[in-house]
Amino acid sequence: MFVLPRLIRRERASARMAVLAPIIAIAAAVTVNLILYLVMGKNPGAVFHAMLLEPFMSWASFSEVLLKTGPLLLIAQGLAIGFRAKVFNIGAEGQFILGAIFASAIPVWFPQATGGWIWPAMLILGAIGGALWAVIPAFWRVRLNANEILVTLMMSLIAAQVLNYLLLGPWKDPKGFNFPQSVMFQYDAMVPILIPGTRVNVSLLIALVSAILAWVFMQKSFRGYQFLVGGLAPRAAAYAGFSEARAIWLSLLIGGFAAGLAGAAEVAGPIGQLQRSISTGYGYAAIIVAYLGGLHPIGIVASSLLMAVLYIGGDNAMVSADLPVAAVRVFQGSLLVFYLAATTFVRYRLDIGHDAKGGTP
Amino acid sequence: MIDRRTFLQTTALGAIAAAIGARAHAAEPLGIALILPSPNGDVGWSHSLVAGLDPVKAAYGDAVKITIVENIPEGPDADRIMNKAVADGNKVLIAGSFGYQNGAMQIAKRDPSVTVLHASGFMVAPNFSPFAAKYFQGTYLMGMAAAALSKSGKLGSVSAFAIPELITSINAFTLGAQAVNPNIEVSVVWVNSWFDPAKEQEAAKALLAQGCDVIFSNAQDTPSVISVCEEAGVPSFNLNSSMKSYAPKTYLGCVATDWSPFFKASVDAHVAGTFQGANAFLGVADKVVEVVDWSPNVPADLMAKIKEVEATIADGSFSPFTGPITKADGSEGVAAGTTLTDDQIVAMDWHVKGVATPLPQ
Repeated sequence: MFVLPRLIRRERASARMAVLAPIIAIAAAVTVNLILYLVMGKNPGAVFHAMLLEPFMSWASFSEVLLKTGPLLLIAQGLAIGFRAKVFNIGAEGQFILGAIFASAIPVWFPQATGGWIWPAMLILGAIGGALWAVIPAFWRVRLNANEILVTLMMSLIAAQVLNYLLLGPWKDPKGFNFPQSVMFQYDAMVPILIPGTRVNVSLLIALVSAILAWVFMQKSFRGYQFLVGGLAPRAAAYAGFSEARAIWLSLLIGGFAAGLAGAAEVAGPIGQLQRSISTGYGYAAIIVAYLGGLHPIGIVASSLLMAVLYIGGDNAMVSADLPVAAVRVFQGSLLVFYLAATTFVRYRLDIGHDAKGGTP
Repeated sequence: MIDRRTFLQTTALGAIAAAIGARAHAAEPLGIALILPSPNGDVGWSHSLVAGLDPVKAAYGDAVKITIVENIPEGPDADRIMNKAVADGNKVLIAGSFGYQNGAMQIAKRDPSVTVLHASGFMVAPNFSPFAAKYFQGTYLMGMAAAALSKSGKLGSVSAFAIPELITSINAFTLGAQAVNPNIEVSVVWVNSWFDPAKEQEAAKALLAQGCDVIFSNAQDTPSVISVCEEAGVPSFNLNSSMKSYAPKTYLGCVATDWSPFFKASVDAHVAGTFQGANAFLGVADKVVEVVDWSPNVPADLMAKIKEVEATIADGSFSPFTGPITKADGSEGVAAGTTLTDDQIVAMDWHVKGVATPLPQ
């Protein structure tokens, strides 16, 4: 009888392998894709040059990496706190959109307003909007025991339709030839540029500060400890009197707050108006970023940077190395698959040829 | 005053500079980058833009290098990719979607040596030309044929966005149909997406259920609508490139766009250094819009009449938007004896009488 291989948890995960796993994953992904490019008749040297080296080779392109890192970092930090408490907020995309909408209310309703208060007010409003969007799944989970994975995911679809409604109706630019987009924001509604000559703005600093705050919260505070215990051993946490409801509420609110802030910074930053394609999947990519970073605040800083390099590098490869968009996605996807496989084998081993009772077939 | 000697000196210098320039040009191929909003498929908008560059490639051979970047959402990523294309040395940038407008204009202003061609926009600069097709000239002819084939007197259109370009297509379609049968009615479903085949098919089915028996697939990039109509045995037509192979039995025809005359002329002007940005609103007379793959089911006498009207559109003696035209709300749209100017047509935000569906506000 054929028996499927099973995963057995290792007695002890090797520390050396834990460090090596990401490197092995990258090497494996590069090898597989190298073969793919050769089969496709592309020059693999040019592809990897464009994808992995070019993002670092000029200040202009590295600044774009930093620009892309900002929202990923911010959202992933917020999500990781909840993931650690085993509260799975999959709807950061929708919270991001609501943040963008709330922030846009100021320039859309007061396009003539001036003053240095506008962009900070927009960011705060955006964060509140994202958090409010997370209130609904939190309430349903705590009061009705509705699965937050499903509810947050579906709330994202609703958010996209709310955005569509506003852009096709009340918030449409009256001079925009009926295109579904808002007015361009005034100067004071834009987050100030951090590095002159680039598009990197102050929101990157906010994201970095959020990483520090997340680290303090998770590693140093008692509440962070409660979250961790609640996630690892819910019954132990309950015996210790740690409130599960509070963990759910805080997890979702923090996640929504961070995602909303990122959405606000995006419309008030590189986009400069509310439009349909404000998020190119940041909310979903941030889930991967959070897990790639091991749900650790410092790890997430590194993984968000890596993810940003992959995005920018992938775009570069399309422009410079004539790579089709699908091949870029294959590279990004295979890297994540190999990484997840590698980290799995750090903690588990394959058991081949034994059935579930431990005997040989 | 310029005396003869300085004149001779400067012209001689100019000639040498031109010669050097020509040599440098011969050594380094002219880079042309085309940025597309959707995947470059076998049919549709993106396909027609790619096909429009073929004669440029044929004429210049190795003296041009064409880079095609597909499936780029409108937003900050598009800005970066266009910047990257220009940084790579591309000197002619074709921005294939309305939403690329702001980013493309920034590039044009920053670097006068770059020539930018931008689809469906309204901004103009010395090195920046927006281009759009006079689809309405072709849809008017289609309306004439549709009215003859319709038994119910009800025509339908699945349309992407309620922007002037698509509104004028529907209006001209209606006016053409009314020229044959004054009682014709046209129903419209706005899907609010450039690319959503499932929703487009649902919309087509809804129109068929309402009794519409000729369908206009207005700006869909896939044969979604066309194939639903083929199954139902109802004639249908579309824009940009022929989808006859997807509806061999019922296909009514295609209002095709051929961008090659415009692209070729623009590249020629760029090479000669004489490019001058202007609004390129091109139609039958420019050989950009042409109705192809006419259905054999259109009665021969009507076909002869359609060809007559086509000839008068081509020589400029007739425009579909010639008064008297009544708006859908009953007020006067175009006074008797007057014709809408191009500027009025590109800003059209009302339906003609006979379009049963109100325009979304």
